[in-house]
Amino acid sequence: MDDISEASDAQLVTMIGRYDEVALAEAYRRHGGAVFGLARRVLNSAVEAEDVTQEVFLRLWNQPDRFDPTRGSLRSFLLAQSHARAVDAIRSLNARRNREVKDASKTARSGYDMQHEAWDIALADQVTRALEELPDEERQVIQLAYFEGHTYVKVAEILQQPEGTVKSRIRSGMRRMRAVLNEAGIQGVET
Amino acid sequence: MKHDEAYELLAALALDAVDDHERLVIEEHVATCPKCRSELDSLLEVAGALGNSVDPLPEGLWTSISSRIYDNGDVAHPMPVLAYDNGARVVSSQRRHVRRPAQRTVFSSLGAVAAALIVVLAVSLANQTNRASNLQHQLVNESATSAALATPGHTVVDMASSTQADLASFVLVPDGRGYLISSHLPTLPVGDTYQLWGVINGKPISIAIMGTSPRKVTFTVSGSKPTLLGITVEPTGGSPIPTSAMVASGAVED
Repeated sequence: MDDISEASDAQLVTMIGRYDEVALAEAYRRHGGAVFGLARRVLNSAVEAEDVTQEVFLRLWNQPDRFDPTRGSLRSFLLAQSHARAVDAIRSLNARRNREVKDASKTARSGYDMQHEAWDIALADQVTRALEELPDEERQVIQLAYFEGHTYVKVAEILQQPEGTVKSRIRSGMRRMRAVLNEAGIQGVET
Repeated sequence: MKHDEAYELLAALALDAVDDHERLVIEEHVATCPKCRSELDSLLEVAGALGNSVDPLPEGLWTSISSRIYDNGDVAHPMPVLAYDNGARVVSSQRRHVRRPAQRTVFSSLGAVAAALIVVLAVSLANQTNRASNLQHQLVNESATSAALATPGHTVVDMASSTQADLASFVLVPDGRGYLISSHLPTLPVGDTYQLWGVINGKPISIAIMGTSPRKVTFTVSGSKPTLLGITVEPTGGSPIPTSAMVASGAVED
């Protein structure tokens, strides 16, 4: 393959497994912005988000076999890594101490505005629509869990709702989003 | 954990909204349950779409990542020859020698023993104004290079970029001395210099400041032989660590 920009994500990961740094650079070019963007959004800190982004791509470099192309896209795999590390950081005492204090309920109410940040162009409309179509209570629990890094137990505590209710809302909200994205033809979210 | 309990928590797991203990037990179940695994994969894609906002990448972040891939003591990875077109596209795709993990171990062991012994001497003779002196130095250099090329066990390292195969070549002799054989590196503007690096024990070690238009470069590396030579463009005076992508590199074959 003469032009690495034409390689599929799966091919890139195979090349990374052969210690091809150019392939890693191409993976970074394609997905680094999303990895960094999600980490920055969750951590509310560009500096910490850079650390997370480094960890995600170094992990891809050291353990490329952890990505299984039959289970989903590389973008989603990397975003899951980014989110998990961001959440780990945010749940730690130091991260919390350094983080800008936010009022959770205010954040949840203003969550719609977050949708207007720089979404990846290909998904922006569909994801926005999927979020818009969620009932408020489902959107709220997903935003508190995903973008604030809270466990469902903590979300229940914040909202003063039973844990079972929060679990149920997360599940139904995610499935509803999947249906909308699936209907829009977004790959990888078929049931 | 029972199937129904795990299945109920898959959406929360996809959002990282479970605690560590729950994560472990759910993942334990998912590993043996195709239905849960399929559901989780699908929900992770939804989570990926949800978090799919793209931010401009911070300047220098890639440099940090690429420099840290050598941090674990491995020496197998040659330094990448990368160039970005306004940060938007990797324009270099040079294929390079691939070493497998078994070789990593060998090189790591060798490198670990000697990494602390690296001594760098750099001689860059530029801007000579005396023609006679130039000629004299040139003859001496050519003589030394010729002698190095005639030394048993010498190694020739060809430096290339993605677009040019013969940007420079060096000869290394077993006692650690090295010489520039030839260079087609373009002349740099005032304020910049080429800098030669050797990857030893997985880390780039400065070997020589080469000047703006390298013609004569000699150096000595004590200790382990580098596994790779690379050239970067740095501010005049050089840099303790590479601050830019390599413009040329070449594997040091045994």
